[in-house]
Amino acid sequence: MLLSVRDLRVSYGNIQAVHGVSFEVEEGEIVTLIGANGAGKSTILNTIARLHPADSGEVLYQGKNIASLEAHDVVKLGLALVPEGRRIFGNLTVYENLRLAGFQLDNSKLSERIKRVYGYFPRLEERRSQLGDTLSGGEQQMLAVGRALVTGGNLMLLDEPSMGLAPILVQQIFAILREINEAGTTILLVEQNAHMALKLANRGYVLETGNITLSGSSDELAHSEEVQKAYLGR
Amino acid sequence: MDFFAQQFFNALQLGSLYALIALGYTMVYGVLLLINFAHGDIFMVGAFLGVFGSITLDLPFVPTLILAMILTGLMGVGIERVAYKPLRQASRLSAVITALGVGLLLENGMLALTGADPRSYPDNIKNLNPPLLGDQIDILGASISAETIVIIVLALLLFGGLYFIVQRTKWGMAMRAISYDKFAVPLMGVSQDQIISMTFLLGTGLAAAGGILWGVAYPILNPYMGMRIGWKAFIAAVVGGIGDIRGAAVGGLMLGFIEIFVPAYGKDIGVSSTWRDPIAFGLLLIILVARPTGLFGVARRQKV
Repeated sequence: MLLSVRDLRVSYGNIQAVHGVSFEVEEGEIVTLIGANGAGKSTILNTIARLHPADSGEVLYQGKNIASLEAHDVVKLGLALVPEGRRIFGNLTVYENLRLAGFQLDNSKLSERIKRVYGYFPRLEERRSQLGDTLSGGEQQMLAVGRALVTGGNLMLLDEPSMGLAPILVQQIFAILREINEAGTTILLVEQNAHMALKLANRGYVLETGNITLSGSSDELAHSEEVQKAYLGR
Repeated sequence: MDFFAQQFFNALQLGSLYALIALGYTMVYGVLLLINFAHGDIFMVGAFLGVFGSITLDLPFVPTLILAMILTGLMGVGIERVAYKPLRQASRLSAVITALGVGLLLENGMLALTGADPRSYPDNIKNLNPPLLGDQIDILGASISAETIVIIVLALLLFGGLYFIVQRTKWGMAMRAISYDKFAVPLMGVSQDQIISMTFLLGTGLAAAGGILWGVAYPILNPYMGMRIGWKAFIAAVVGGIGDIRGAAVGGLMLGFIEIFVPAYGKDIGVSSTWRDPIAFGLLLIILVARPTGLFGVARRQKV
C-alpha cells in the first residue's frame, strides 16, 4: 500500500471539516476523491501534505506515519501536491518555478526532470522565460503539474486541476496525467468534475461533508444512482 | 568643477552606506513582511565588532570586515530564531514591537559592555592605503581619499553579489518565491525556515559591512549611532519601494545625494545647512505621496 489514510479527523478552529475518513491508494493506481464544494477534499489533501495538522488518525505513506514530518520533508519522500488554484509563483519565470521545485536536486537530475516536463508540455518550454503571472490558466496548471514532476516522486496529489479551465484543456491535461501515471507515478485526484475524474481514475471515493459515503471502481461509481444524480447531472 | 566632483564622491560614499543598510530592511520585509526595527542597531553592532576585530584582535582591514560580517550575520540569524520565529503566526504588530525591543536590548547591551565614550578605529583602518591606489587620487580635479574609493567599490561589489544571489541562484529564487506566496514554498521541498535564516544572514551581514565602512568614513562610533542612521536607511528603503533590492540601492543613493548636496549648494541660495534633514525628508515625503509604494514597489496583490 503506497498511501493509507486511517480515521483522519481535521478541523479548522472549532469546526471539524473531516470526520474520520479512511481510504487507501495502491502503487500505480489513479484514485479520485469526488465531492461537492466544502466536502473536505482539499482539507484531506492539505493534511496529507502536512500543510495542515490532523486532530487524530494516521497517514501512512510507504508504511510510515508521516504525521510528525514537516511539509517540505514530505516532499523529499516523493509525495508531491499540486495545490488548489495552482499557486504558481507569478514573480518567477516558468523556468525559475521549475528550478525552485528542484531545490534539492543535483544539476544533472534537475535538467533531466525539467526536460521531461518540457516533453509533456512543450508550451512551457516555449514560455520558459515568461513570468508565471503572464501565463494563461491552462499553462499555469501545466506548470503546477510540471513543478510536481520536478520535485518528483511516487505519489502526486492533485487538487482540482480542472478548475476554471476550458473542457478541451482539461482533456489535454488529463491525457498527460494518464501518461504520467503510466510512467510510474501514482495519482490521487480530487475533483468536483466527477465526469472527467471517473473517466481517468481506476477507483474512487465519494466524500460528503467530511465523510466517505461511497466507494468503488470508477465504473461502479459512474453508474451508481447517487453519483449520477448528485455529480453527473443525469 | 572640482567642488562639484568632491561633493559628488562624498554623496556617493554616504549613499552607498545608506544603501547597504537599507538592503537588510528590504530583504527581511520581502520574505517576512516584517519591518525589522532592530536592523539599525544590528548595523551598530557590526561597527563595534570592527572595533573588536581591529583593536582587540589587532586584525587588518579585510579580516576585520569579514569577521564582523560573519559574526553579525550569525547574530541576525539567532535574533530571528529566538525573537521573531515564535511570533510568526502572531499579529504583525507584536513582531514589530519585539523588533523595537531587540533594538533597545542591543543598544543598551552595547552601552553596558563598552561604555558611553565614543570609539573609533585605529589608524591602519581609518587611513586605508590599498595597493595600486595610494592614499589620494585625483578625479575630475577633485582629490578623493582612498577610503572613499574603497567604500564605493566595496558597496558596489556587495550589492552586485547580492543581486546575483537573488536573481540567479536557487536561494534567491526561494526568497522571491516566499515574498510572493509562502504557502506554496514548502510544496517545492524547500524549508521556509532555511530561506528565512539565509535572508537574515545576508541582510545583517551587509549591515555589518555598512557598519565597518561607516566607521572608516565617519570615525566616531557610539552605541546610539544605529538608531538615527538606521531610521534614515529604513526611509531610504521605503522610498525605493520596500521589498525590492534595487529600490533600496536607489533610495539609499538618493538620500546620500540629497543630504550632501543640500548643504553644499543651499548656502548659495540662502538655505542654511541646518535645513539639510527637513529638506531631505520633505523631498522623500513628496516622492511617497506621488508613489506610495516607492520607486520600485508594486502594490501587493491581495490573495483570497
